[in-house]
Amino acid sequence: MDAFNNLGLGFSVAFEPMNLLFVFVGVVIGTAIGVLPGLGPTATIALLLPITYTMDATSAVIMLAGIYYGSMYGGTITSVLLRIPGEAASVVTTFDGYQMTKQGRAGPALGISAIGSFIGGTVAIIGLTFLAPVLAQVAVAVGPASYVAIMVLGLFLVTSLGTGSTMKSLCMAAIGLLLSTVGQDPITGTARFTFGIPSLLGGFDFVAIAMGLFGVGQLLHSLERTEKAQAITTKIKNIWPSRKDFRDSSGAIARGSLLGFVIGVLPGGGGVISSLASYALEKRRAKDPSRFGNGAIEGVAGPETANNASSTSAFIPLLILGIPSNVVLAMLYGALLLQGITPGPSLIEDRPDIFWGVIASMYIGNVMLVILNIPLIGIFIQMLRVRTGILATFALMVVMVGVYSINNNPFDMWVVLIFGVFGWIMIKTGFDPGPLVLAFILGPILERSFRQSMLISDGSFGIFVTDPISATIFGALAVSLTYSFISRRRRVKAAQTLSRECLGNGVSGVFH
Amino acid sequence: MSEDTLEAVQVAEPAPFATAGRYQGRFRLVPVVLLATGVAAVIGSWRLGLGELTNPGPGLWPLVVSIAVSISAAILIVIPDIEAYEKWTRRTTLLVGGVLSLVVFILLFTAIGFVVPAFLLLLLWLRVFGEESWRLALTLAGGGTAVFYVGFAVLLGVPFPDDIVAGTITRLIGM
Repeated sequence: MDAFNNLGLGFSVAFEPMNLLFVFVGVVIGTAIGVLPGLGPTATIALLLPITYTMDATSAVIMLAGIYYGSMYGGTITSVLLRIPGEAASVVTTFDGYQMTKQGRAGPALGISAIGSFIGGTVAIIGLTFLAPVLAQVAVAVGPASYVAIMVLGLFLVTSLGTGSTMKSLCMAAIGLLLSTVGQDPITGTARFTFGIPSLLGGFDFVAIAMGLFGVGQLLHSLERTEKAQAITTKIKNIWPSRKDFRDSSGAIARGSLLGFVIGVLPGGGGVISSLASYALEKRRAKDPSRFGNGAIEGVAGPETANNASSTSAFIPLLILGIPSNVVLAMLYGALLLQGITPGPSLIEDRPDIFWGVIASMYIGNVMLVILNIPLIGIFIQMLRVRTGILATFALMVVMVGVYSINNNPFDMWVVLIFGVFGWIMIKTGFDPGPLVLAFILGPILERSFRQSMLISDGSFGIFVTDPISATIFGALAVSLTYSFISRRRRVKAAQTLSRECLGNGVSGVFH
Repeated sequence: MSEDTLEAVQVAEPAPFATAGRYQGRFRLVPVVLLATGVAAVIGSWRLGLGELTNPGPGLWPLVVSIAVSISAAILIVIPDIEAYEKWTRRTTLLVGGVLSLVVFILLFTAIGFVVPAFLLLLLWLRVFGEESWRLALTLAGGGTAVFYVGFAVLLGVPFPDDIVAGTITRLIGM
């Protein structure tokens, strides 16, 4: 079968000693930053982008992908032990995971998360292996109008499913699109919004913006925090779950794998929405829903599985359509662009070594992660002892030197600083920088597809209705927008009563 | 990110009910700036030339985008989101110091190279913002500067601006 030949090629790439090393480095860094609160996968990949520039393309993507799915494992640890989600998708795990820790069952909670993550991740990679070539053939036929629709849908989903207010996120996405127009017009070469600054002719550097908003902004914000790191007091024992734990969570893991995979393929999917969906599903299916929130192991196993499955299957839109469906994948997309590779339907034909090498490396990375997360978990917990002040200082230096090294131009340092201040203001005022960065990456692709559509259709917007994919997507968007507008009035009333009732519950804010 | 969201929610929660009305203007400040940006961008795009729909000019796409910015910012002015705003604390003023230190770092870096400004920046952040002891701060700043210099300038071959310290050392060794 063809898939096996392809996988053979992939494994021959992934088993090269250098690439094996980079998978390992990636998953270790990923687990580490997942454990360290405040430094998420987005910031880390932003910090490391300048370094990957000097690496071989395949190794770079293998390592960055490792960081991404590694952080999904690592984020669980602090959610379970300290009720601090290491990254957004682990918020759900705090509900039951922390309760299990309080009941002295931290070990099984961490163990079942790692096992669930492994199963979810592996199921999704298998799906990716067999589905990707088929989808790539379909994707070649996708026209520019459909591309516009898919990207608009992706942006809408990211803004409405993310944290914080939808309108704020939409506004940030629009700002991201606006920032991406700075520089020369791709067709006529006219300078747009450059204010006569020659360094701006090439546009803002994506790395500088990402490092500024996620890196410097976050670090400046950490200056304001006074509280000291929480100490871990729990002893972790019996990390391998009991037979009863396995029986209780096997259904949740199976459903989580499937659910996560499907959600991850959708634009805007991956991460937090899949874990929320899995939690809701498990709670609804449970015979006794009141156990949820009080240490139900299914409430840990399901979401963690779904989370990893979706973060893996989210590589499908990235590698096949060239559309990153979330912010972390936008960073990976940026890394590929830095290497001179544009992900898209032809990637699988043009660079099978990268495509299959990365997929094969995920099988290996997932095995490594189970080993890191079950027997070696104690080592990572020790990392929580590193003081945030030291960590922030060195991260700051990596940002400043790293951004200079992309173009060897101090101008990028100023860009990073300015966007750092913006990033800090955004954190303070509750604007999510994620949609901005995603839109900034999608901006040029969106503009190109929009212009191509206009050329094909002779300047008529009718092309968005006659193209079946775009018609379906825009139709669905219109329906859901109308629906949410109508239900909004009802929700506002409900929310007012609700927020008075649960003012003390901080976690509720995440679902807005 | 998630952690900040949590924190933001926790910090901001008591405020809306107690102070709504009095401090409403505060929540509108950022949207007003965004709206001004959007409107300026609309005018800018117009000036770039819109072209025709069949043959778009350089300003057409920026116009579409800046209209989106303006509309969403305008909605935020009318219906401000009063959740997730963090309070300003006394430590916020530290931030001005943090930003200034970075400005000085970039200026010095361009003028006299990496080593001295890097050492000073690391020392300042470790001692003042990290509140580490002098001994640890000095050790980490010295060691950190060396590691960064070796890592980036020597191993990765990043051409830093002429460095007064490293330059002098190489000249002395060369003699």
